[in-house]
Amino acid sequence: MDERQKHLTRRAFLRLLALTGLGTTLAACAGGEQGGEQTVAEQSPRPTPKPTAGGEAYLSVARGTDPAAITMAAVAAIGGIERFVKGGDEVIIKPNICTDYYPYEYAATTNPEVVATLVRLCQGAGARRVRVMDKPFGGMPQSAYAKSGIAEAVAEAGGEMEVMNPNKFQMTPIPQGLDFKEWKVYQEILQADVVINVPIAKHHNLARLTLAGKNLLGVAATPNRFHANLGQRIADLVSLVQPTLTVVDAVRILMAHGPTGGNLDDVRLTNTIIASHDIVAADAYATTLFDLTGADIAYVKAAAEMGLGTLNLDSIKIEEITA
Amino acid sequence: MKPQTWRRLRQTTQVLALGLFLYLFVFVPPQSAWSDLFYRLDPLVALTATLAGRTLLLGLAWAGLTLLLTLVFGRAWCGWLCPFGTVLEWLSPKRWRPQRKRTQPPKPPEGWRNIKYVLLFVVLFAALMGNQTLLFLDPITIMTRTMATTIWPLLRYAVYQVEAALYQVEFLWGPLDWVHQAVIYPLFQDVEAVFIQAGPIFLFFAVIVALNWWAERFWCRYLCPLGGLLGLVSKLALVRREVGDDCVACVLCTQNCPTATIDPAQGYRSDPAECTVCYDCMVSCPREGIAFRWQNPDWQPAAWQTYDPRRRTVLASLSLAGVGVALAGVEPVIKRQPATLIRPPGATLTDFASLCIRCGECVRVCPTQGLQPSLFEGGWQNLMTPRLVPRLGYCSYNCHACGQVCPTGAIPNLTLEEKQGTKSGLARIDRDRCLPWAYNTPCIVCEEACPIPDKAIRLEEVETVDAQGEPITLQRPVMVRERCIGCGICEYQCPLGGEAAIRVFTPTEIGG
Repeated sequence: MDERQKHLTRRAFLRLLALTGLGTTLAACAGGEQGGEQTVAEQSPRPTPKPTAGGEAYLSVARGTDPAAITMAAVAAIGGIERFVKGGDEVIIKPNICTDYYPYEYAATTNPEVVATLVRLCQGAGARRVRVMDKPFGGMPQSAYAKSGIAEAVAEAGGEMEVMNPNKFQMTPIPQGLDFKEWKVYQEILQADVVINVPIAKHHNLARLTLAGKNLLGVAATPNRFHANLGQRIADLVSLVQPTLTVVDAVRILMAHGPTGGNLDDVRLTNTIIASHDIVAADAYATTLFDLTGADIAYVKAAAEMGLGTLNLDSIKIEEITA
Repeated sequence: MKPQTWRRLRQTTQVLALGLFLYLFVFVPPQSAWSDLFYRLDPLVALTATLAGRTLLLGLAWAGLTLLLTLVFGRAWCGWLCPFGTVLEWLSPKRWRPQRKRTQPPKPPEGWRNIKYVLLFVVLFAALMGNQTLLFLDPITIMTRTMATTIWPLLRYAVYQVEAALYQVEFLWGPLDWVHQAVIYPLFQDVEAVFIQAGPIFLFFAVIVALNWWAERFWCRYLCPLGGLLGLVSKLALVRREVGDDCVACVLCTQNCPTATIDPAQGYRSDPAECTVCYDCMVSCPREGIAFRWQNPDWQPAAWQTYDPRRRTVLASLSLAGVGVALAGVEPVIKRQPATLIRPPGATLTDFASLCIRCGECVRVCPTQGLQPSLFEGGWQNLMTPRLVPRLGYCSYNCHACGQVCPTGAIPNLTLEEKQGTKSGLARIDRDRCLPWAYNTPCIVCEEACPIPDKAIRLEEVETVDAQGEPITLQRPVMVRERCIGCGICEYQCPLGGEAAIRVFTPTEIGG
């Protein structure tokens, strides 16, 4: 063999150095929590929900037997969808699809017509993309999406059902958090232009009621860890996610054995939709359907104390509609 | 047709058959009749399940087709259709390197071919006595089990690790999302599949593959009980390999035969019970001295070789099977069900241990991958039978896939309503670990997740103080034994690390 070939030439050495440097840089980008935080969206990427501007109501309550009609009426009364959705917006609708155990008549999951109506409203306002998603804790996502009837309704409305991608739960700081200072939260929820939180009002033994605040657990990883201090931890999450619009599905409400349900006897047909930009106020009103007040629910109280909204229903303009 | 064309046809058929097996493995839903196609075609499974289960399983009559194929063409199943055979042929030194001139390791003795017949008779006699312990040696069960618990999860893990690394780079999310929705989610369903027995199962598979380096198609030649069954039937085959007068004794065919059944001492003739109809001999023959021909009009059973079973082989196998079955009767599990042997729902309604062929189909389809092959949890005689490990995956309330897919009905095909009313286990709360009981900390995630309409967990409210000394109203979970079906979602969701504070064990042996 030629003597010179045994030695590393200058060119080969420089090439090796460049490759090692590139490789190390890539590895550093890919590795560990550091990489995760750098790709996270800035805190509060969405403007905090707009307070009442013109003469529209702070909170609306629509009652009627047609879920689509009362949804539209409730949204119209608080300024119409145009107040929340602009042309070209990226919209994510977050209903409650917690399990695949029972169909929607059992009031464990959000009413599909309500979700579909919201999809249509957003599209009418010129949204670029309207996606609907949740992460069930019981059953597989596809199964839950189908069983709840929401997949079919959203498809008919021309929206997109999306299975939440496990890779998008990334560690995010919660600057206003009093208990949780950071948590793994779904990045796309934080980056979307508009987030519409559509819970169904249900009994829940630990929380007493699961409403809009508790519904946001679907965008947090390992939600089981919240229960040791549920009230404050949910409020911390609310301070991060800041949904643009909250629409509480009270077409049917679950009076007992929630949040999973299974007894039609536990379901009450209340034919009501509650809408507001203020998640705390919406939850506070929803508690009245169960003969409670906002202060009775730990996470509603904690969120109010953090200044994320008001639970004082007497201090706000409430419009009640029959549709 | 030229020999090369025949071989090409065979190789294409192998690819199609293995491709079909893999396609069915990945994509076919459990309720489809196609999901257990290969088990329906497997005569060994058909025989043992019928004998041991004492029931005529009509779906398995398709296995008659395989027997018919064997009666006509010999062990064409082994060379053309068997997915395990194809894998073993591809993972073998001969496939990738031309025949080396250097000395090969000494081949195993010809007498070892007898082992597969012994195994076959032991399997059949044991089945006659209601025992299917050795069905884990069936090649289709080996393929399904190995794919379901090692190869597919291994691939899934690698893919998700790479994906997770790439997702750290935000500007890649667009194309990554497309790949996730179009390819990764449909294939892997985002389920974190972990398997306790992945190591031993992979080792078993790897050892069989490694044996190919000692002798090609080692498993097919010396060990496969299905090969033994088809081999015996092949003695009557209507189409057999024949050596013509053109043979010049060049020995090329002998060197190329994957099952080494061509005997120079017998004029380069082969034993149809060992020949897998691969055509390598025909392709290598420079003289066209080899052909596969119909045996009429002078058909007669093929010659009996020294390694073929004798009457004493059959009697020895009968004794072995008898001893084995009797020994299984001494295992503690037949007296008292072990605590962690949670069977799939409805399995206790059938003669489960006698019907289960240890195939792993239920493990494959379980959407939470909570079903695991057992090692010794059910006794050695129940090796590779399924059990539920709720900490790894709960029994999903809205699912009855395992019953739909079970080829022999060991797990009965209950309707969803029947399954939701069937007890597989009973949960037990460990008050020394449970957060509300042991640490005065609120929780009740178990009660939250419980799918039973009236909840199988009730709550006791107690006024007490928390860890900081503040007064709180604490809810503590208590089991409602009558309602619990042992699905295990409570155990799965319990936020404690390590063993959950609420665990599912085998159901109570008394009613209610």
